[in-house]
Amino acid sequence: MKNRKIAWLCVLTSLMMMLFASASAQTAVFGDAGWDSMKFHNAVAMLIAKEAYGMDSEEMSGSTAITYNALKRGDIHIYTETWTDSIAPYQQDVADGKIIELGINYDDNIQGLYVPRYVIEGDESRGIVPMAPDLKTVADLKDYPHLFPDPEDPGKGRIYGAISGWMVDEIMRKKVEFYGLDSLYNYMDPGSDPALAAAIVGAYEKGDPIVAYYWEPAWITGKYDLVLLEDAPYEPELYLKGECACPSIKLTVCVNPEFYQNNPEFCEFLSKYATSSALTSEALAYMNDYDADYPETAHWFLQQHPELLDQWLPEDKAELVRSAL
Amino acid sequence: MPEWFTRFPQALSLDIKKPIDDAIEYMVQNWGGFFDGVSDTLRALLLWVRTAVNIIPWWALIATVFVLTLKTSGRLSRALLYAGLLLFVGIIGLWEMMYATLTIIVTSVILSLLLGFPLGVLISFSDRASRLVRPVLDTMQTMPSFVYLIPAVMLLGLGNVPAVIATIIYAMPPIVRMTSHGIRQVDREVVEAAQSFGSTRFQLLTKVLIPQAMPTIMAGVNQTIMMAISMVVTCSMIGATGLGSEVLKGINRLESGRGFAAGTAIVIVAIIIDRLTQGFAKGGVEHAE
Amino acid sequence: MQNNPNTNPAPERDIILKVEHLTKMFGRRKSQAKEMQAKGRSRDDILKETGVTIAVDDVSFEAERGKTFSLIGLSGSGKSTVVRCLNFLWQPTEGSIFFNGENIADYSPQQLMEYRRKHISMVFQSFGLLSHRDVLDNVAYGLEIRGIDKKKRTDAAMRMIEMVNLKGWENKNVGELSGGMRQRVGIARALANDPDILLMDEPFSALDPLVRRDMQFEMLSIQEKLNKTIIFITHDINEAFKLGDQVAIMRDGRIVQTDTPENMTQNPADDYVRDFIDSADKAQIYYVKHFMQRPACLIRQQEGVALALKQMRSNDLSSAYVVDNRMKFIGVITLDNAFRVRAGELSFDDAIVRDVPATTRDTQIADLIPLASQARFPIVVLDEKGRLEGIISKAAILTSLQ
Repeated sequence: MKNRKIAWLCVLTSLMMMLFASASAQTAVFGDAGWDSMKFHNAVAMLIAKEAYGMDSEEMSGSTAITYNALKRGDIHIYTETWTDSIAPYQQDVADGKIIELGINYDDNIQGLYVPRYVIEGDESRGIVPMAPDLKTVADLKDYPHLFPDPEDPGKGRIYGAISGWMVDEIMRKKVEFYGLDSLYNYMDPGSDPALAAAIVGAYEKGDPIVAYYWEPAWITGKYDLVLLEDAPYEPELYLKGECACPSIKLTVCVNPEFYQNNPEFCEFLSKYATSSALTSEALAYMNDYDADYPETAHWFLQQHPELLDQWLPEDKAELVRSAL
Repeated sequence: MPEWFTRFPQALSLDIKKPIDDAIEYMVQNWGGFFDGVSDTLRALLLWVRTAVNIIPWWALIATVFVLTLKTSGRLSRALLYAGLLLFVGIIGLWEMMYATLTIIVTSVILSLLLGFPLGVLISFSDRASRLVRPVLDTMQTMPSFVYLIPAVMLLGLGNVPAVIATIIYAMPPIVRMTSHGIRQVDREVVEAAQSFGSTRFQLLTKVLIPQAMPTIMAGVNQTIMMAISMVVTCSMIGATGLGSEVLKGINRLESGRGFAAGTAIVIVAIIIDRLTQGFAKGGVEHAE
Repeated sequence: MQNNPNTNPAPERDIILKVEHLTKMFGRRKSQAKEMQAKGRSRDDILKETGVTIAVDDVSFEAERGKTFSLIGLSGSGKSTVVRCLNFLWQPTEGSIFFNGENIADYSPQQLMEYRRKHISMVFQSFGLLSHRDVLDNVAYGLEIRGIDKKKRTDAAMRMIEMVNLKGWENKNVGELSGGMRQRVGIARALANDPDILLMDEPFSALDPLVRRDMQFEMLSIQEKLNKTIIFITHDINEAFKLGDQVAIMRDGRIVQTDTPENMTQNPADDYVRDFIDSADKAQIYYVKHFMQRPACLIRQQEGVALALKQMRSNDLSSAYVVDNRMKFIGVITLDNAFRVRAGELSFDDAIVRDVPATTRDTQIADLIPLASQARFPIVVLDEKGRLEGIISKAAILTSLQ
């Protein structure tokens, strides 16, 4: 009995030592704040880290706030897709040198309030008649609270909002007020990104009307035919008050300063890492269609776009990756 | 060494993800009406409970907690403490949130008891039913909630309704188990005595088994309530309102103060309900012995 | 087997309950067990090979109306199983039970319920009381489930509570009662239905000897009033002989002998029965500690005669025990002497009778008989330092040996 206990203890100890050992080697830790595009970019960068630089890497998941904080502390080293406008202290942190912005991954993204296309145009194949043919802009929502009823508050409509804690949540709340929608609609906090996505998918599959905050590129906006409600043209001073469309947000690649000092070569690559909304959407669509996982998608993506390797990497490193593919 | 020896053989792979996805998609597309009905019923119940809870003025709730604590524990200091703690929830500005949370908890607990108690009685009578139900209960308690939360959101929409469903799934097992356990452990001679006098099955159940099992059943009720409270934060991730969403906001915005304030309120609610239901359960035991 | 039941068949007997070839097996592979049994294999073999326990094996007997039938055997002999077959708590595997000539196995569920509600009720070894109800509601349970209205059933229950001498306790919770009192509740509950047959499954085994003796006596007096047919299960041969008009001895699921106590003592069917009857005397080795009581009137020497008188008066006794500060026994003061002390005719010291027979707690009761027959007072029980531990009455000594 006692011997067995000791044996177990030994096994446990050695397991833990192995764990610590693997953690103490310089492993690049990528932040995963929960959404697909970021995981995809992580997978691409991780593939290159391994093949071109021989670096081990891993992902650490959590909410935006938690992973971002971990990036500052150095528990996470790399953020491949930083939604700069969603993180309130971002500008200050960059200015203070708490994180290092290496470059822009892409900045042609969109976010705002979406409705499924069948709400406006109907969908003959599914037998859905147009419900709001004249719905085009956010302001038009005034006329349709009955179309998007809040089941928990009869008499009012429901707008599925952004996730609390994201800066855009504040902006969306102000926007609802600005257009006078707050007396007609409840702005609902969906609690989490998966829950918001599930609500949209559920409504879409049923053919129910829904109006919800979302963004592109994302697999939801790629897979389902959603229409962005128009808003006033972007003006920097109006944007934060919610009175105009959201600008494309700069999605940057950021690293922890210490990591930056220790891995200059790899950071050189990261600073050149740049894609686009279209490329990201393409990859996410592939992933969804073929039920691939992220590493597989990254693999496929680099095969499709070998030219990117030349833009991102020195010649020898690019060749290493190419041969690995 | 052959590869199959060191690595799990690929030939043995089976994809269960896609069929599950397809099944859920099928249910969303084709059984929407049914789930809308479930959703509407639950929502009506929720609204009803919300109205009932909101009728209670703040001072009346505090006074009730004071009186009940005094009655069950017989200690003035404890009654004052619990009333004070409840008052504190109001003082830190979370009174309305607490009512929203109570609405979900009360609804979930009522439904858990309505479903779980008869099920517990059933599996106490039938070993076969018991063998069938137990693994289901284990699954309900150990399956990570988010796994079924997301399909629940697809089927029932976002908000308090799927929160109630998720809470029931997590909180129902204790009342089922404890009801069954309580009934099964009733002294064999007591059961034989009741039978020997010609009790019908219903009389045996209502006049003997359930009263004899009451202390254990009350312990199950207490556990069910505690489990329901522990789901508050998880449920806020699918849009449930109340203290849980306040905690979640605190987490999402890294506002530790907000998180702690709401978390403290949850703890206070939990402690008060726990001690009160335990007090009642003990009263039952004393009576029974 | 030496199966020779009924050595004294009486021609005209009013048989209320007749058991024929009753067999009860527990386990799944009963048919296989039956085959093995037909081939003459032993109970142990059958249990080992099939997992089937033959609890009762071909038992037959007849119970006469208004008489007590004692069924005795060691634990595991099958006697409790037999009694549970009589009201179909357990369904017999084979054999028949006739109640007033009707085969119970033919009863519909409705008839079986009626049979249990009106004709047969049961008293259990560990009482089987409902701990969430008070004494009255326990006694009234059988009437309550028959749908008898509250007033009627309360009246009936109260009569039974009086009969078992529990008046004044009817609103107590059963948890507040001693073991003996609980079994009185059990008996009252069983009688409240006014059944024809009373099944008693080792009703007094859980009680200590003194209480058991009281209960046996009480049972006899109840039986005298009510004249029920009683099937009495026990492992105590004295109890079986004391209460039973007929006694059946069971061994390994079979009845070895059925007879009146007298005949059985005189003509035991085999050595097993003889040993069993012999064990009666051994079972009777009781010690003083089993029957010792606390003296009701106890005074300290320095407390004086006034208190002694007061205590005797309030306890309605004619003597009191006198001890010193350390509980050391000094003597007995009688009521007469106490009055004389008060009248000044005697000093308190002289009034104390010091020549009182004494014994110790570990003395056998049987050894006290000579002492008891001549003692004027109950015998005092002293420890090795002469301190008073209790008293034991003459009556207790003599009746324990009956």
